[in-house]
Amino acid sequence: MEAVLFYIFAIGVVVAGAQVVLRRNPIYGAVSLVACFFFLAGIYVLLSAHLIAILQVMVYAGAVMVLFVFVIMLLNLKEEELGEMHVTTMKGIGLAAVLVLVGFIAWKALTPVQFARDMAVNEQIHGFGGVKAVGNVLYRSSVLPFEVTSLLLLVAVVSAVVIAKGKI
Amino acid sequence: MRRVDTPGTGGYFPRPQTARLKANDEGIAMDSYLTPYLPILVLLLLAGVMCVAITFFATVLGPRRITNIKEAAFECGSPTTGDPHARHSVKFFLVALLFIVFDVESVFIYPWGALLRDLNGDGLGWFAYFEMMSFMATLAIGLVYVWRKGALEWT
Amino acid sequence: MNSVGLPHFLIVGAALFALGMVTVVTRRNAVGILMGVELILNAANVNFIAFNHYVDAPGRLTGQVFSIFVIVLAAAEAAVGLAIVLAIFQTFRTIDVQETDLLRE
Repeated sequence: MEAVLFYIFAIGVVVAGAQVVLRRNPIYGAVSLVACFFFLAGIYVLLSAHLIAILQVMVYAGAVMVLFVFVIMLLNLKEEELGEMHVTTMKGIGLAAVLVLVGFIAWKALTPVQFARDMAVNEQIHGFGGVKAVGNVLYRSSVLPFEVTSLLLLVAVVSAVVIAKGKI
Repeated sequence: MRRVDTPGTGGYFPRPQTARLKANDEGIAMDSYLTPYLPILVLLLLAGVMCVAITFFATVLGPRRITNIKEAAFECGSPTTGDPHARHSVKFFLVALLFIVFDVESVFIYPWGALLRDLNGDGLGWFAYFEMMSFMATLAIGLVYVWRKGALEWT
Repeated sequence: MNSVGLPHFLIVGAALFALGMVTVVTRRNAVGILMGVELILNAANVNFIAFNHYVDAPGRLTGQVFSIFVIVLAAAEAAVGLAIVLAIFQTFRTIDVQETDLLRE
């Protein structure tokens, strides 16, 4: 069951991610990116990272991609403004290199290796990856990064408003 | 988690003895941590079946008599005006931006709210409270800035 | 059905990273490039969570907390990056990154 779900989610992630590369129209790219994030949330559930899966759907698919779609519609590029897709030999070489590299990593990774530790231990711990477990680490041990995050968001808001205000 | 000094079968962190996976009658290990997601699976299946079924039956059963008037763009009964591909205002971007910030804030508040009672039990109640309050105050500075800058004015 | 382990998740992460890298390198559309960056950040997240699940000591959640920060960082990055894209469009009336070359002159 778990293996079947993994292959469904993994194929979904890769196919939807490939659409982002191949589609020329950015709105199709954005929508397939949303699909990719949903499949990724499924993969996080399989890794028993329940809170991260919810975050992925809420923040990425819900908020970040809304921003992307808004900007794409704001610019509303016509066909000629999109720029034509150039198929050059250099791009072909680059794509081939990427495929070879990923294939090599896959071939290396799938060679049976004796892992020192039992790999399925975490699945049996009650509450692993749940809201309370992650919150415990977040609010007890990483207080400073948490507060710095708010500063990061503040800087992002202020700079984005300064850059974008009064444009278009 | 108890750490042992001599690595045994499970390395330094031996497999806990309490929460074993339960096996059902066929001997297949149940993915117990996935069972809460069963309703979501049912919902997805129902939604998919509905989409496919409605589209399928509409195309197969429904009559198709296409005329020019039916194909024309319809806008509240009056003739369409203006370019349908007009550019939108940048105000939409600013609203989406603020939405992202407060979405992230709510995402942080949710585990904090679930945990506050536990933290209070450990004597960390006020610490956790002021931790979150300073987080929200920092984001509120951003809101005040955007407000004073006039980015929320919809004119 | 053979069982799924750490290598399978790492392959998904590698494939996602490669797709993001190809998007960043081949796209001329600035919004498309930002989407590629999002793919790359997600590939990093997959690796964080997979290693946290399989390799870190049981019950420890450092990888998951780190990936929360990565998600927040991605949100901030998207906000600022898209604002810059809007500013570029206002200056050049295009978001083709090949034609925005004022610094070259």
